[in-house]
Amino acid sequence: MSTEVTPFKRRSLTISRSASTRMRISGLFGHGLLLLITSSSALLIIFIFYYIIREALPFFKIRGFVEFFTQNAWHPVGNPEEFGALAIFFGSGMVTLGSIIFAVPIGVVAAACLSDILPFSLRQLTKPIIEILAAIPSVAFGFFALVVLAPLMQNHGGLILGGSVWVVGLPLLFLASWIGAEFLATRIDGKNLPTTRWTLRLVLSVGGLLALWYVAGIFGQMRVTSGTNALNVSLVLGIMALPTIVSVSEDALQSVRRELREGAYALGATRAETMMWVVFPAARSGITAAIILGVMRAIGETMVVWMAAGGAEQIPTPWYNFLEPVSTLTATIAGEMGEADHVTGSARYHVLFCMALVLLTISFVFNFISDRIIGKGGLAKGKSA
Amino acid sequence: MNLASRRMMDRSFTVLGILSILVMAGALLCLLGPIVIRGVNAFVFRATVEHRQMLAEKYGVGDREAVKRELAQAEQHRTKIYRMISAYEASLEDESYAMRREMGGELDELKDRLRDLLGPFPGDPDPILMREQYGETRWDRALVVKDEVIFREEYDYSDPSAMGVLVHVPRADTFEGTSLAPLFPYLENHLSDILRPRWTFYWRFFTTESYDAHFFGGIWPEILGTFYLTVGAILFAVPFGVISAIYLVEYANPKNPLVALIRTCISTLAGVPSIVFGLFGLAFFINELHVSESKSVLAGSLTLAVLILPLVIRAAEEAIRAVPKTYKEAALSLGAGRWRTICTVILPAAMPGVLTGIVISMGRAAGETAPIIFTAAVSAGGVVALGETLSQPTPALPWNIYNICSEHEAVNEIRHVQYGMVFTLVFLVLLLNSTAIWLRARIAKRLRGA
Repeated sequence: MSTEVTPFKRRSLTISRSASTRMRISGLFGHGLLLLITSSSALLIIFIFYYIIREALPFFKIRGFVEFFTQNAWHPVGNPEEFGALAIFFGSGMVTLGSIIFAVPIGVVAAACLSDILPFSLRQLTKPIIEILAAIPSVAFGFFALVVLAPLMQNHGGLILGGSVWVVGLPLLFLASWIGAEFLATRIDGKNLPTTRWTLRLVLSVGGLLALWYVAGIFGQMRVTSGTNALNVSLVLGIMALPTIVSVSEDALQSVRRELREGAYALGATRAETMMWVVFPAARSGITAAIILGVMRAIGETMVVWMAAGGAEQIPTPWYNFLEPVSTLTATIAGEMGEADHVTGSARYHVLFCMALVLLTISFVFNFISDRIIGKGGLAKGKSA
Repeated sequence: MNLASRRMMDRSFTVLGILSILVMAGALLCLLGPIVIRGVNAFVFRATVEHRQMLAEKYGVGDREAVKRELAQAEQHRTKIYRMISAYEASLEDESYAMRREMGGELDELKDRLRDLLGPFPGDPDPILMREQYGETRWDRALVVKDEVIFREEYDYSDPSAMGVLVHVPRADTFEGTSLAPLFPYLENHLSDILRPRWTFYWRFFTTESYDAHFFGGIWPEILGTFYLTVGAILFAVPFGVISAIYLVEYANPKNPLVALIRTCISTLAGVPSIVFGLFGLAFFINELHVSESKSVLAGSLTLAVLILPLVIRAAEEAIRAVPKTYKEAALSLGAGRWRTICTVILPAAMPGVLTGIVISMGRAAGETAPIIFTAAVSAGGVVALGETLSQPTPALPWNIYNICSEHEAVNEIRHVQYGMVFTLVFLVLLLNSTAIWLRARIAKRLRGA
């Protein structure tokens, strides 16, 4: 590296053989050093795997695999100790699923709106919302879930649930009855007459309204015994996953080539039809990657679930009951390690590393899949995920 | 499908899109609204005379004489309460034993609530806990405690099929007809004379240590701890990150399988859940390398550095890639070597972009909680001096937010501190992020101008 420091004008135009060799060697040396530093940052992930596995193995040696993955009872300090983590896996899956159900439709539709519908100036206004949402620390989300959302749910749970059924259901019902009538009218007489259509619309929307009223009634009657539950956490995790989902799927939608859209428009498709039948299918893999990244964000989140999921290591009854407290892998690790790390070497300490190993494997697999998808050209090249 | 329906569906698609963006905006507003409003309330609030007394005695600030005068004025209004209570106590002596026992219990409860509001009674022994040495320092809390004085909370179990319903029973009913009955309306009407609230900008919230587990004082140790951890993480991550980025962009042959492997490793590192970093930090930096006896700022910084490394690499890579090819070609054609081109031409040109990435990573490191739980954070602790960072753990904003709103003994009484801490953290992180956005805008401008 030192060779090039000599000022240019004092150097003779012909390079001696020894100088040339020196330059080549120092160049190689510099290259090697850079490679070393770079690969040491890459080695970190291998270190992480190694140390997590090393600390996890003793548990499997002591207790075997079966109990950990198939049993339900989690009593790490009980007598006898029990380390069945199935309910914890279930809790992780449950809140992740809940957050995805909430975040994916909103995120994908918002991305479509950002990429194809909003004019440029409005889009610039919307960008900061996503950036701020992505920047807020997770503990602030956890604080919000615990201090603001949980009391609200506990005190006005039925009202909120019933209200949200109406808010979400009404527009969807309207749309569904409109489309349903359209299809049915064609089915019935093959002519799709306006009178048939309107009658069907009326019948469907009245029927739907009744059903909605019934469902909202059921939800409105529900008693939320604890505000720190799976629903609360799912909502907040959904909000946290939104920025990832929106920005990655927007990238995916924008990388769909212009010609496809223009072709669809030229065939007379409306914008919604173009999006539904042309752009979304073309960006399918990118959207899948977005969803995977959203899932990773939700499954790896610690603070929100630790603070606001209720911390009960149990499968809710019935299993789809989101109003019960649950616990997740991340929350269990965070909560138990504080007490367990004084007794390094106990099964209680090592079992937490087993959970970390499971998390690590999940994130590795998901990351691999999304990398594959993005690498194959589902997204435009050079776009960061 | 007829045209009208298709048009309607097209419109409803647009509406759905806009609605979902509004949902996001609404979520952001719901989140930031309470944090900002109630967070500001942690240091801009109506402070009572107790607050000024506390400041004068514990921190030695404020005009002592003025505080004394004010206390004397407040005392005039308080003595009436004290007199009423001692009169009632004296009258209780003449009652029957059962009566004395029943009313004595009620009276003790009332006195405890009054002590919460006004501080110790004259003649009480000096309390040990600081929270018992002073009455309510904040007017908003004082109003809550006043309600606790006036009403007793009871659960009504008259409907056996349902859960108990919380009802507020006026204590005045209990003491009706006694000499204590006038106390309640008196307290209601003269509370502001008794506590003398005044709007205060309590900037010491940010610069002082807390007394008595965050009941009093500020959050300076937490802010400082977050600062140490963030700067430490950046110090470790930036050299490695920038050099790796230089290598990946300028030297590495993208077709080399080793380079492909390195890239995969780095992108995997970016996807690892943050709690796993915490466990790794514990197992590697503390249990294996023994960088410190147990938790320390150093171990926490190293763990956070591992967490933000992929972010730094990615940002630096993008910034270096964005430097126009012509710069590099011009430098090479002038006879500069490869390394010299990088040091004198490419890196300076990429600097603002790299800085943007660094600032964003700082925001990330400042807000992360899970990696520092096992490696650096303690819930109770004072200011850590710079020299002690190698061996001492520190309080830090994210961890202490968790701690004082989940594990604190009196969660409801220090809501304002919790909100203040969350506000400070969010403010710091957003400040860092807006700095990054501002930097990026400047780069864009310069590139357009070039």
